[in-house]
Amino acid sequence: MNGRHDICGQAHSLTVLTSICAGHESALARYLNALGSGPASPLSHVGRTHFARWVVVGDVVFEGTGERDHLQFAQLLFTSNFDGTDLDSYLESLRTGLGVAADEIWSHCNGYPGSGDPAAFAAYMRRHHVESSLFFAAYGARTVEDVTSSLALRNELIAFAMSTQGLPPADLQSAFERRFPR
Amino acid sequence: MANIEGKATAITVLTPVRRGGPILLGVVFWAGRNLAFTLAKLETLSFIHYARWTLIKRFPDGSDGEGQRPNHTYLFFESNFNGTWDQYIDAFSEIVALRMKAIWGTSLGFPGPLPVEPFKQYIRRNEYVANHYWSAYPGHTTTEIISAGDVATKFKAFHEASAGLSPEAFDAAYKAFLTQVQGNL
Repeated sequence: MNGRHDICGQAHSLTVLTSICAGHESALARYLNALGSGPASPLSHVGRTHFARWVVVGDVVFEGTGERDHLQFAQLLFTSNFDGTDLDSYLESLRTGLGVAADEIWSHCNGYPGSGDPAAFAAYMRRHHVESSLFFAAYGARTVEDVTSSLALRNELIAFAMSTQGLPPADLQSAFERRFPR
Repeated sequence: MANIEGKATAITVLTPVRRGGPILLGVVFWAGRNLAFTLAKLETLSFIHYARWTLIKRFPDGSDGEGQRPNHTYLFFESNFNGTWDQYIDAFSEIVALRMKAIWGTSLGFPGPLPVEPFKQYIRRNEYVANHYWSAYPGHTTTEIISAGDVATKFKAFHEASAGLSPEAFDAAYKAFLTQVQGNL
């Protein structure tokens, strides 16, 4: 089971924090910075993902008061806002969907077992998972599929309404039945 | 580096929490999870897709142990929103000032949500730029998504209810449906 505070509606938050091997920070950042966006992103192959990000955290910021902290290791933060009822199936989607990118990214992190063994990959992600304290989703009941299909339907309806303005009732009805068959 | 993907913008912030802060934040987060009105205000901002807050007490250090425990607990905040960074912080500080105070009031160096300039400087100082950012629907705002969802729900009801109607009755039902959803088209 995922942490109960990671859930809002059917939406889940995932926060994974892993330590970056000493000296690997720049290579990892370069790799992530060079990833393509949109359909070229490896995340485009990980279904159920609304939003996700990787962030290299070099060190924490000192706010001028209190004792100064320094991270022993730079951290790789991965977060995702995804659909689903359980974390394990999403982690498996992440492993298979990211493909080689998973290893290209997390092999820069200490203790990463590789993506070859599904159980070891999931265990690594779970061990480094930080539960949300508070998670907000503006449309938490809607999956990625719901969102994309409703956006497409809305566009289709606008186009239909424009193209059928002024049609007599019988023509309007048959145009509707053709466009939106039952 | 990519904090922007289409219309979506990412914010990632880590702030050190003063001693005793995690206990207070526990209460704040409990209220956020259990008292509907606390997060309802975020919905009225209408440009936030997803946001989360998390307390980080330990950072992984590659060992099998519990990791590095720094002097402070850190408050992690991420948001996925549409619009510009400045608009977002402006709206946050003006519309949800009290909630901002409740959440970041325990963070070291927090100047308060107003005036907005010192607050913006604080966020900039503690913000990290995403190295890679992904959105499944980068071309759409929160409002568009919620509107389209509402249209889809009403369309489904209309689609089911309008089966087998006479042309005249269909025409009337269709016009009523359009009137119902026109604000969201």
